[in-house]
Amino acid sequence: MKPVCVVLFAILAAVPVLAHHAGAGFSQETKVITGTVKQFQFLNPHSWIQVNVTDDAGKVVEWSLEWGSPNELGRQGIRPSTFPAGARVTFKIRPVKSGAPVAAFQAAKFEDGHIIGKWEGDADGQ
Amino acid sequence: MNGTRLVTCVALSVGFVLTQGMGYGQSTALTPFDKLPDWSGLWMMMGGTVFDTATQTGKGGVLTHGLREHPPYAELYEKKYEEHLARRDVDRFPDVITNCGVPVGYPRIMNLPDGYEFLVRPDEFYIITENGPNTMRVYTDGRPLPKKEDTWGTYTGVSVGHWEGDTLVWETIGLKGDRDNDSILDRTGLVLSDAAHITTRMRKINDNTLQAVLTIEDSKALTKPWVVTKQFRKQKPGLFMYDYGCAENNRNPVNTATGETLILGADGKPVK
Repeated sequence: MKPVCVVLFAILAAVPVLAHHAGAGFSQETKVITGTVKQFQFLNPHSWIQVNVTDDAGKVVEWSLEWGSPNELGRQGIRPSTFPAGARVTFKIRPVKSGAPVAAFQAAKFEDGHIIGKWEGDADGQ
Repeated sequence: MNGTRLVTCVALSVGFVLTQGMGYGQSTALTPFDKLPDWSGLWMMMGGTVFDTATQTGKGGVLTHGLREHPPYAELYEKKYEEHLARRDVDRFPDVITNCGVPVGYPRIMNLPDGYEFLVRPDEFYIITENGPNTMRVYTDGRPLPKKEDTWGTYTGVSVGHWEGDTLVWETIGLKGDRDNDSILDRTGLVLSDAAHITTRMRKINDNTLQAVLTIEDSKALTKPWVVTKQFRKQKPGLFMYDYGCAENNRNPVNTATGETLILGADGKPVK
């Protein structure tokens, strides 16, 4: 079995996701979702990761995960190829309070074990 | 014309020509390049994007009403601020830059995420930010500040400064303040009036830290001067700055009728 390589990019957790606008609509609680990346919009004023997630009923829901400006993310090593379409990824997110499939990105864990952002503790913000 | 009068005439003429050639932008008091401090590199603002000393001391609660150090507001502006906070709490106080249309102005340009460059020339100093993007100019060529009646209120105002050793000192007037309800200091709703007069002192406090101390006076909004500090940390060498197209993929437009900041979902329609 190949050793799992885990690389932490902890500093990325400090990137101010909500710089362009106020973040009052996002919950303070975190949630974990797993899905397939559809698109990584590496654009200003905010990057967005579009992820297809299959819910418990078998329905595919497209989540929109908001992240920071590519300017600072780019200086920290993030590239348009960081979230390739088709990649299966588990995300730690702060969803909007309304329950819509939109959230603020916190961290991501890939199938090979590498991590983007700060992944601490278990799911649901514990 | 006798000899004395001729000499006098020539001397006066030469003097006239020389003074006409000077005007703005030419001063014998310019600090030469080799005497100016080195503020080169890419810098990032330290602390949160909220304008008060609490963010510098880690007291926290920068987005929570009641835990911040309020400016010494006069009664009318304290009421405005309380109203802004209340609207902010229900997402009805949008950040004016969210619709990507206006500069952040001064002093908010000292309060942004993403990269900064501080360009120092003998006759002028520039603050250039990625976020926005935004630019501020401080004229250090010896010109005076314009008279108040020769300003008309802009987001960033007019700034004139001089060097005191390694410290750049400048004054800013001609700010629009809250006149058109489109200029804030931060997204909690801090505002100033069009009477604001800001004196800034900026210098390196160590090799990797630039510090700006702003003394904000405002005869309409403040009961006394309000002193705030912002610091900037130098980033590792070799990094690039990039452009910033605020409208490139703005999925957070403001509903201008309600003041609500929207989030556009995958289908481009608002979700909430």
